[in-house]
Amino acid sequence: MNNFRYFPNSKRDIAKLYRILGIKDKKELFGKILGGIPLMDGGILKALPEELGEEALYRFFLDIDSNIPAKSRTAVFAGGGIYNHFVPSAIDGLISRSEFYTPYTPYQPEVSQGTLFALFEFQSFIAEILGMDVVNASMYDGAESLAEAVLAAMRLSSANRDMPVSHKDDIILISGGVNPSYVSVIKTFAGGTGVKIGKVKLDGRTGRTDIEDLKQKLATGGGRVPAVVVQQPNYFGVIEDLEALERPVHSNSNSGYNPGFIVSSTEPYSFGVINPPGYYNADIFAGEGNSFGNYMNFGGPLLGLFAAKKEYVRQMPGRIVGKTKDGKGRDAYAFILSTREQHIRRGAATSNICTNSSLNAVRAAIYLSLCSKSGFKEIASLNLKLAHILRDRLLSSGLFEPLYDGDFFNEFSLKLKINGNKNNNTTASEFIEKMAERDIIAGVAVSESALLISATENNRLSDIEKYAENAKEVLNA
Amino acid sequence: MPKFPGIKGIFLDEDPLIEQGSKGLRGIGIPDCGLKKSDLKKDESEYIDAKYIRKSPPELPEVSEPTVVRHFTRLSSWNMCVDTVFYPLGSCTMKYNPKINEKIAALENIKNLHPLTPARLIQPALKIIDDFNNILCALTGLAEFGFAPQAGAAGEFAGLKIIKKYFDLKGENRKTILVPDSSHGTNPASSVLAGFVPVEIKTGKAGTLDAEELEKFISKDVAGIMITNPNTFGVFEKDIKKIAEIMHKNGSFVYMDGANFNAFLGSARVSDMGIDLIQLNLHKTFSTPHGGGGPGSGALGVVESLREFLPVPYVKKVGGGVSADKNLKRPVYELSEDKKNSIGRMTPFLCNFAVVLRAYAYLLSLGRENIGSVSEIAVLNANYVKKKLGKILSGSDPFEEGLCMHECVFSDKAIEESGVSTIELAKLLIDYGFHPPTVYFPKNIHGAIMIEPTETESVRTLDNFIKAVKEIKFKTKKSKAVKSPQKTKVGRVNEVLANKQPIFKY
Repeated sequence: MNNFRYFPNSKRDIAKLYRILGIKDKKELFGKILGGIPLMDGGILKALPEELGEEALYRFFLDIDSNIPAKSRTAVFAGGGIYNHFVPSAIDGLISRSEFYTPYTPYQPEVSQGTLFALFEFQSFIAEILGMDVVNASMYDGAESLAEAVLAAMRLSSANRDMPVSHKDDIILISGGVNPSYVSVIKTFAGGTGVKIGKVKLDGRTGRTDIEDLKQKLATGGGRVPAVVVQQPNYFGVIEDLEALERPVHSNSNSGYNPGFIVSSTEPYSFGVINPPGYYNADIFAGEGNSFGNYMNFGGPLLGLFAAKKEYVRQMPGRIVGKTKDGKGRDAYAFILSTREQHIRRGAATSNICTNSSLNAVRAAIYLSLCSKSGFKEIASLNLKLAHILRDRLLSSGLFEPLYDGDFFNEFSLKLKINGNKNNNTTASEFIEKMAERDIIAGVAVSESALLISATENNRLSDIEKYAENAKEVLNA
Repeated sequence: MPKFPGIKGIFLDEDPLIEQGSKGLRGIGIPDCGLKKSDLKKDESEYIDAKYIRKSPPELPEVSEPTVVRHFTRLSSWNMCVDTVFYPLGSCTMKYNPKINEKIAALENIKNLHPLTPARLIQPALKIIDDFNNILCALTGLAEFGFAPQAGAAGEFAGLKIIKKYFDLKGENRKTILVPDSSHGTNPASSVLAGFVPVEIKTGKAGTLDAEELEKFISKDVAGIMITNPNTFGVFEKDIKKIAEIMHKNGSFVYMDGANFNAFLGSARVSDMGIDLIQLNLHKTFSTPHGGGGPGSGALGVVESLREFLPVPYVKKVGGGVSADKNLKRPVYELSEDKKNSIGRMTPFLCNFAVVLRAYAYLLSLGRENIGSVSEIAVLNANYVKKKLGKILSGSDPFEEGLCMHECVFSDKAIEESGVSTIELAKLLIDYGFHPPTVYFPKNIHGAIMIEPTETESVRTLDNFIKAVKEIKFKTKKSKAVKSPQKTKVGRVNEVLANKQPIFKY
């Protein structure tokens, strides 16, 4: 037994514990407890690495860090569900406070007012941005949140049906503009219920969800429709006409049921410029909030956002913080409506979620406070402009052509132009690979020939030039 | 050191930020990104159709950076946390979160890495996942871990989906998942989410599941059992091998809820207990911070025959290996989707990478030399508390005879005799400067008090805590108990009001 630095009991203390318990050593202790289960021996433990001192450990990871694309010289234009936004230092400073990052879930409200108040502010800010009534205290990520939104809509749709509920005749209509990874996660979650998944196609010219196709599928889609799911801006970066989409959804009398209108987003920063989902009468919003003060962290942890109209709050998954009073009438915060949750309701809970993305949510609250009203709008506007300048610049090079011509926010899709491309069999993936060697993460391939490209306030005009010039070299090489 | 850490102090009050604003203020600098002034001034409607444009911006507070920093710093001071107090929440494994792990997770290139960067350029990052997988396999004896599950409950869901898919492919429609009545609420909730019907089994007098009792529930409808081991009483499931045999004989699976894996870390392998699947809560056993409720990671481990069912994408190692052939290329790590019977995708990208990274750093710190001490000291500390408190709370330890593992549980029998309820004990402990234990869980212990000290607490701290419980038991007046806590930022919170007239936002 070593005196390892994370263990505050000395060898003497441990000897004392054994003495008090009347046990000789570890072998006897575990022998008494585990019975016939063997103790791991040196042979098995040999498969584990030897201990690394703190300095050696840091150098080990420093080495890893220096062998991946360097933040200092890499221009990131990839989005596809996660965006390279600026993270102010004040967030890291505040979040490095142990009081924020080392507590458990605030089940004891009197000693957790800090986290609870911060989450209440998170809920308030996100509700403002989305224009929605109720926001929960976070989900894992946008995709899981959206899958839970679909399940919530299915529960709502079956509220007035005879039990047991079968969803065999139900069909969820999902726009072809929803991030394909999100659709996969919906399938993982809803797969067991028997519900069918139907796809609403995109208009080939604009890249927006095809309203006529939606109307037709609502009418004859082969089942009752508990929910219609769209993404804003959609996977290809195109801004959806939510007003036009909402109307047929909420006036669908074909099956005697108005489907839930679920809006998702991977880039809610867009709602600094465009109208939010609440403005278009969305029933549920479920999407990704990582853009607000969180690093990309190679894809996780993320920040699932979940919001709904007030009347659906009982079907919401996850924790919700509410404002109340203490015994002396002072403002206080606590989790509310917990009877929806697994620790109370067990098998009848609205979701199995327990641990969520609380700390990421607090980061978002700090971020949005720092942005303030004007900063949020201006940064959003900057994103919009940079992306448009980038797209214009790339199109003017003659090497690309638009995939869609619909309006967009900070992300858009282009096709590699066969004629303008001497090396005319370069695929989008190959283009991205070659650009990456030049310290440019050029985008995300969405097909053999097309890619998604995004710009944020972390990209400068000079990066855009660098992109255009290198693209020319790569494609004409 | 004072008698108890909870003495007195100053609490700084703080208004909601929205009330502290002043028009035009903000706490962020906005770059021009090299744009021309004329472009910066352009209206958004020059770029997109005016009908989409938001007329009034969201009402966020208008505040400067110092105001934001003071606000959230004050808020943070209203929290108890692992770094400030003993935090013996049962089933939550509130161990010390090493600082070096935070420094590693904050490395500039790692934290800014886009998940869709071409795999060729991020080999060292992908290798982390593969190496960590190998360590977890060695620690559990299982064949492979999937890292997609973002938390314990997500790991449970993934595991149950795998079981479901396994039987679907076999053409068997098994609907039942057996769950002991002492299980975490996530177990039955995950079962339902995965399309099963959870059926509760009563635990025996010793707090464990009886193989004989289990036999009564066995039928061809049983797909598996979810068993927490050590269970939520902190008691090792003595019949676990027998239980596994019964299940396997019936063609069913044994899923272990690994929330309490700290009891076994580096000392015992779940493969030796006949476990087929387990989720490891990296935010518990592997020291990553709980963050006030998340994020976490619920890495799911499975036996060989279930590997092909794990979620995608995953990190696949190609080439390399232990060959003497010098010409053999270095291994290449790919993000792969080729799992023949995968349950599919659970998250937009690969995993909660920054959490896995911290857990990996933790294991590398410990190394093979120290890892077995984690469970050893955790079990010793818990048994010490069990023994000492057992004397003070006489007649309250439902499992007085045996040893516990990483946590111990008491009923409210002894404190009730002193006129103190479990919730009052919890709130009184706060004023002594301790975070309360888990209370009223598991449900089948009356007024349960569940204490998990972990290996990162000293005997000195445990003694101090035990002394506080003793004082509460023998000296507390009822009038004080109902008013506690009194030293906190707010007193007992009115949860009835909070639920009756819910206020969700400013």
